[in-house]
Amino acid sequence: MDKKSEMGPLVTKEHLEKVKGYVDIGINEGAKLVVDGRNLKLQGYENGYYIGGCLFDHVKRDMRIYKEEIFGPVLSVIRAKDFEEALSLVNEHEFGNGVAIFTRDGDSGRTFASKVQIGMVGINIPIPVPMAFHSFGGWKRSLFGDQHMHGPEGVRFYTKLKTITSRWPSGLRSDPEFVMPTMK
Amino acid sequence: MNIIEHFVSGKKFSGNSKKTSKVFNPATGEQTAEVKLASTKDMDTAVEAAKTAFISWSKKTPLHRARVMFKFKELIEKNFDELTKIIVLEHGKVFDDAKGEVTRGLEVVEFACGIPQLLKGEFTENVGTDVDSWSLRQPLGVCAGITPFNFPAMVPMWMFPVAIACGNTFILKPSEKDPSCPIRLAELLLEAGLPEGVFNVVNGDKEAVDAIINNRDIAAVSFVGSTPIAKYIYENCAKNEKRVQALGGAKNHAVIMPDCDLDQAVNGLMGAAYGSAGERCMAQSVAVAVGGIGDKLVECLAKKV
Repeated sequence: MDKKSEMGPLVTKEHLEKVKGYVDIGINEGAKLVVDGRNLKLQGYENGYYIGGCLFDHVKRDMRIYKEEIFGPVLSVIRAKDFEEALSLVNEHEFGNGVAIFTRDGDSGRTFASKVQIGMVGINIPIPVPMAFHSFGGWKRSLFGDQHMHGPEGVRFYTKLKTITSRWPSGLRSDPEFVMPTMK
Repeated sequence: MNIIEHFVSGKKFSGNSKKTSKVFNPATGEQTAEVKLASTKDMDTAVEAAKTAFISWSKKTPLHRARVMFKFKELIEKNFDELTKIIVLEHGKVFDDAKGEVTRGLEVVEFACGIPQLLKGEFTENVGTDVDSWSLRQPLGVCAGITPFNFPAMVPMWMFPVAIACGNTFILKPSEKDPSCPIRLAELLLEAGLPEGVFNVVNGDKEAVDAIINNRDIAAVSFVGSTPIAKYIYENCAKNEKRVQALGGAKNHAVIMPDCDLDQAVNGLMGAAYGSAGERCMAQSVAVAVGGIGDKLVECLAKKV
């Protein structure tokens, strides 16, 4: 509840163990642990489920810490030789929730937005969560189903479409028809 | 010990299940409450209440439903700090971050206030001689939401304001790790004039989730969580002929181009990777350093982490 703090604890003891486990996995896989936050102890909160930020460098695409969602304060840096390689890394990943690109070049930003296989894209925006009147949702194995959440997609999800076609009787003016009805 | 019950038909509901789960304050590791975990029968009781409430709620005018949302918006604003504190004590995120989550949820309530405009249909005169055609959108019935621990207010609020404003009734099964905020939201909805049984909260574990999947009176299920569970919900809800949207895991990349404003990128990454302790489905957990920027990026990040 300290209003000056920047990062809180993890949600449970089990989750803390899981995140720490991933840091061990990363080390064993050969990634370089640049910052190790595992031994963080906060005065007065020794029993809280805290872990400091961890930073890995030289992460490779076949490592578990790259492939799996850790859901903790662990950032992996992976190197790509050029834009195309970076784009293919993103597009070949199992998940497709969010992505961001940091650049000053309009063409890189625009091409990235067009070609990337991800549901929510940020250009110089790190967390591109759509506003309430747009809709939230990912691609690939980040969303099963057809519609995203809230916004216009939310309204579509929570309603059924009905289409009515109607004619009022014209009294004695019309005769019955026996062929397949088509609009005349 | 504080017992957290379900909220059904406009009041606290104990149910018949003897199962409970412990709720902790993650900052201290202390247990703060015990939450009831619903049995299939408890869930079915809630669905029955929502089914009954649907009969009259779905007939209310869109304008009436919008006015309840306006009132709800006002009540959230009035109780902002209280809702924020509940999140901090059970989830562990920092105060301003929790406040941000309530704001993002509130924005969906504000969107739902526009439901009369959003539900307008389309009309074509004379699709054939003397024949007119129009389309309209009608509510589904009882909808259910299953939500994760990481956003105990925002993710439920992605779902129920829109569902309710469209004329549906709703069963929310929040995370059993931080269930108190949704109960408070249910009380505020009631105070805003929402009829009993339109919004219900049922706490539980896998048994409650399976009870949702198997209850034939639930028309649609919204889920946010991990990919294996999202797939399980999607497959089994589809098998039971439900409409479903199931949001799963993520591994969000930030592509750092060599020409970027490095300070902006580093600050962005710091917040996106470590904010809320990385427990966000929109957290950035991979930075792709393009060209020669890698060493400089790691150096800058290492200083700040």
